[in-house]
Formats: sequence, structure tokens, C-alpha cells
Amino acid sequence: MRIALILMLFLILMTQKEACAENIAALESQIRELTQVVHELKNTVDIQQQEISDLKRNYEIKYQVPLPQPTVQPTILPPKFTPEIGAVADVVAKLDSSKVDPENVNRVSIRELELVLGSNVDPYSRLDATIAFNDKNEIDLEEAYLTRFGLPFGTTARIGEFLPKIGKMVPVHRDSIDTVDEPLVIQRYFGDEGMHKAGVDLTKVLDLPLPSVHQVTVGVLEGGNGDGGTAFGPARRRPTLYGHLKNYIDITDVTNFELGASEAVGSNANDASFKTNVLGLDATLHHIIGQDKEIKLQGEAFVLNRRESIDELDGATNPSGDFWGGYGLFDVRLSSQWGTGFRFDYVEPVNRLLADPNKAEIGYTGYLTFYQSEFARLRAQFSHIYLTSGGIDDRVFLQGTFAIGEHKHKLQ
Amino acid sequence: MFKLKYLIRKITVMVILSCAALSAAPCHAGENPLKVVATQTMYSSVVKEIGKDKVDVKYVAPPKFNVHFIQPKPTDVRNITKADLYVDAGLDLEAWSDSLLEAAGKPELFRGRERNVDMSKGIRLLEVPDHQLSRAEGDIHIYGNPHYNMNPENVKIMAENVLEKLKSIDPANASYYETNEKAFISRLDEKIDEWRKLCTNCKGREILSYHKDIAYFADFLGLKADQYIEPKPGIPPTPKHLEFLEEYVKANHIKAIVMPTYYPKDAAEVLAKRVGAKVVTICQNIGELPGTDDIFSFFDYNFREISEALK
Repeated sequence: MRIALILMLFLILMTQKEACAENIAALESQIRELTQVVHELKNTVDIQQQEISDLKRNYEIKYQVPLPQPTVQPTILPPKFTPEIGAVADVVAKLDSSKVDPENVNRVSIRELELVLGSNVDPYSRLDATIAFNDKNEIDLEEAYLTRFGLPFGTTARIGEFLPKIGKMVPVHRDSIDTVDEPLVIQRYFGDEGMHKAGVDLTKVLDLPLPSVHQVTVGVLEGGNGDGGTAFGPARRRPTLYGHLKNYIDITDVTNFELGASEAVGSNANDASFKTNVLGLDATLHHIIGQDKEIKLQGEAFVLNRRESIDELDGATNPSGDFWGGYGLFDVRLSSQWGTGFRFDYVEPVNRLLADPNKAEIGYTGYLTFYQSEFARLRAQFSHIYLTSGGIDDRVFLQGTFAIGEHKHKLQ
Repeated sequence: MFKLKYLIRKITVMVILSCAALSAAPCHAGENPLKVVATQTMYSSVVKEIGKDKVDVKYVAPPKFNVHFIQPKPTDVRNITKADLYVDAGLDLEAWSDSLLEAAGKPELFRGRERNVDMSKGIRLLEVPDHQLSRAEGDIHIYGNPHYNMNPENVKIMAENVLEKLKSIDPANASYYETNEKAFISRLDEKIDEWRKLCTNCKGREILSYHKDIAYFADFLGLKADQYIEPKPGIPPTPKHLEFLEEYVKANHIKAIVMPTYYPKDAAEVLAKRVGAKVVTICQNIGELPGTDDIFSFFDYNFREISEALK
């Protein structure tokens, strides 16, 4: 039995030995073939290196210039996933002619320091945020919204806190407007700095067989106004619905005209039956004279129709009713460094309990801007305002606006 | 007032509904050329050379204006909403481009996406920063000098970038685009030889430029351009800097001050008069001057002008 087992093992080993010998022979053959291939490739590389050297030499002899060097990668690679971060400082010195200054507005102040953040969230959406600080230790979340691109029918949506596209001035950040302060109609109706609200809106550029461009925006916002605004009541539970239609046409290569219409419907009070309808109309004529030289004529008017809840309570003459206000702006960019302009304001105050119902606020404003660079701007402004109380207020502003980091302005 | 208000509201609603109805109607039928929007005229010209009648190309930046400071218009937004392809400079030259794309809201055209052509791909960049940057250095570019379209050798790389993208989004016409690209490159090679011969007198000479936008042009011709009318990129010249330049130009026997049409000429002309140099207009954009309406006439003009000025 043992002998049989030994014989069997011997036979198995002999068979394996023969198989191993065959495998070794095959491997040796493959090594020879691969050695041959490597040798041929080495020859090919040598020939090509020689050809490259000849071409380089010929090029440099022919043109007497050294051959361009390979692309150099930036030694400072931009961070790939860090959001765009910027800051805009708005320093304002104000002096007015009133003899009293209970709110301490006549001073040099950091009116606001905006921290601007933004980045793509994913291939379909982007998040933008603007946080404003001032020297009264107040923090205001001006914007924090998601933009979702590429929705059905070519629609773009925004959701979050944003500047609604009501007219021309409300959607624009303070550092991008032509004057130190917003037009009186914006301040009185929507808020001292316009209005930013939480909500959602949809925008679509219409594909029409026309030479003009038409864009529609519709949205729903939380109720209320910006700080100091009077168009709507403070009830945030009652949403404000709004819509805007922008119509734009290039008259020539250097002249264009835009006509817009807006409507916003919101609540005046906790009782939703008391509504304010805001109708707006804006027009802008823009003419480019040359590089860094252009003129802009812009006008905007808002009509408020209010159903007021306090008619009977306080015995006011007629606080419900229609009010309107508007402004006209003429802005000239004289050169890369200088610009100037003039603004006329007219606004009927909504809160007639505090003002003469027969009077409106009227303002005349002139300004001169010096652009030190793309990121630093100095502005002087004088305003002469006829107040509803019957008085006159002359205001002088000096403003410096300085930006650092990345700060992309949205196209309006 | 009430009646007027409700009338305005009704009209507004009717206009919006009418527009929406018209908008929903199909506007196109049959095989149409690819709609392409390019940021600059150089890029639209390259696309047209390769796509010819298979592409309908529009551009954003008017050629008579400085591409750094373009204000895109709603018309550009509308064109991009209809576009099949968007072509831009990449890098950080066109700071307005991302906002424009976002306003149009077509994600497939965004940077790095399938229907976006970054013309800087494969370009050998010059003046790539080798230190931590600061705005104290002026309006500088973080990836390197982005004015690469001033070197005709780079146009060949741009053509390759366009060809690759056209083939990928319109494979049915791939051979058509390849044929056009080969013919374009062949003609460009012939012209490059011609331009080099024309400008043999420029090699090793020094010029003064208004802005730091001449590096690739100088590199192609073997010119030297170390000083600029702007003390820092984007910063207008100061009297002190002009005094320095006056000494520098005299000491280095500089004969030509080059600048595109859109910068103010006052400082350059005053300096040129003081030192006996010539102000030479070198176009940055195709179509910036009459007679520079395509790639070949654009480079013809620029090389002829610099060669003449340095004779």
C-alpha cells in the first residue's frame, strides 16, 4: 500500500515536472519577444527624439527665436471649493440743515459693511448671501437665496431672502446705485434701503420672434416692508404677490431702451382684507458715447392703492386712497474716473397722520463721483428737500465705497 | 384713479399672457445651424472659420470696447438662452461672463460644462503669478496674462478647442468641421510665415505699451515690453509715473508706444511728443478698426503697423 502511494506521488511529480518545463519554455519565449519589442520601441523613441531636436534647431534657426516653453502651471492654484468671498465697505459722512439731530444721523459712519458670499451648490444651483454689519452693532441678513437654473421652459427660480425684482431700483444693491441714498419714493414706500424679503420667484426670458427682449418674473414674498417703508403693513403672515415684465430693445449698437411694469399686492394689516396694490412703471434710456463715457436717463413711478384699516379708529381725513411717487435720474459717466448726475424726487407720504395731506415731499439732488479704481469710489452729494411738514432740509453727503475680494454683480 | 389702475392691470396681464402664448409656440423647424455665442470677436471668428454655414455665431463684447469692462445686455441674455454652445476666454478676463450665464440660466453652458468652450485650454500662459497676489498690484489676473489671442500661434490651439467641441455636440458634421479646420490652419501657417518675415526688424526691440495686454504679441515677435503707461494694471497714469517713463523711453531708445483704440490717448501722445516716439494703434479685438474684420486682416494690420513703426 505504501509502495503504491509512493509510486503514485512519483508519477504525479514527474507529470508536474514536464508541465513546469513546458511553462518555463513558453515564458522564455515570451520574454524574448518582449525584449525584442522593447528594443524596437527604444529605437523608435531615439529616432523621434532626434527628429524633435532637428525640428527645434530648424525652428530656432529659421525664426531666430527660442521655441516656446511648455505651459507653466500657476504656482498659486485658486482654491477649488472655497466660496467667492468679498466685502464692501460703505463709509458715509452726513450733515443736514435741521437744528436738531435726535437720531444722531449727522456723523461719519460705517453705514454698512457687506460680507458677500456665493458659490455653486451643484451643477444646477447656486447659493448667494449678503450679510450687512453697521457701526451700531446691528447685523442684517440682506440676502441668502438659492438660484435654481435650468427648470422646465427655461425658467430660473430663486428661493430664500432676496431683493425682489420690483421696478429698477429695489433689486439693486446700495453699492451699485448712482447716488448715496435711494430715491425718496423707494425710501418712503419700500424702506430706507429698499426691501429684501424671504420668498420664491420665477423668471423667464420669453422666446418671441421679435427684435426686443421680454422677461417675466412672478413671485411670492413674506409680507411687510423694508425698514421705514410704508407701502404694506407689518403683517408678515400675509404674503405679498408680485410680478414684473421687462421689455428691452437695442435702438442702435450704442443706444438701448428698457420699459418695465411691476405690480405687487400685499396686506396692510393683520386683517388680509385690507390690501395695498402697488403698480410700478420704469423706463431707462442708455446711450454709450465711447469707452467709459455714457449717459443714462432713468425714471420710475409707483402708484399705491391702499385700503386702510384705521379710517374709523383715528378719525383721519382719508388715509385710504391712492398715493404716488417717482423719481427721474440723469447720470453721466464723463470718463473712466469721473461721473456726475442729477435726481428729482416726488413722493406723497402714505402716513398722512404725520404729515399735511395736501403736501408731497420733493427733492433735488446733485452728485459727483470719483472712481479711484475699479474697487474704490468716492462720492459727494447735495440734496435740497421740501419736507411734507413744510420745512426745507439741505443734506450734504460724502461717501466712500471700497470693495475687496470677489463681488459679482447680478445682471439686472 | 381706480379705473386707470384696473385698466393697467388688465393690460399687463394680457401682455404677459400673449407673450407666454407666443413664447410657447415653436419658432424653428427643420435643420438649423448650431447657435453659438462667443464672448469676443476673436472667438466668434474662429468658430465661423470652422463651422462656416453650419453655425450661427453671435458675440457679446463689442470690438470697440475694453473687454474687461463690458456691460452685457438683455439681448445677450436672450441670445444665450437660445444658444447651443458658449465660447469664452476662460481664466479671469471676462469677469462679467459668469453673471451673464447665470442670468440666462442654462447650466449646460456654464464653465466646465459640456457646451462651454474654454479657449485658454492648452495655451502656454505668460506672466503666471509666482507669489501671493494683492490688489495693491492693480487689476491683475490670478491665472496669468489672459490676452493670449494676440499671438496667431495661439489661434491654432483655439481652433483645436472649437473643433473638438463642435465634433462632440454635432458628430454628424464632424468631417465637415475637420476639413474646415485643416484648411484654416494651413492658411494660418502660411500667414504666420509671412508675418514673421514682415516683422524681422522687430526682434529684440523694446516697445512701451499702455496696458499689460501685449505680452503674447511681443512674445510672438521677440519684442521686449517691460514698462507700461499704466503704473499698475487698470490704474490711470500719474504725472510722476509719466516722468519716470520719459527718462526710461529716452534711455532705452524706445520708438513705439502701443495701445488699442479704447484707452485715452492723451498721456501716450504727450509722452510720445516729449521723447520723439510714435503712438501705434495695435488692435486687441477683431473689428476694432475698419479693415480688421477677420482673423487674417486683424493680424495683417497689427504686424504691418508695428513693423512700420520700428523701421
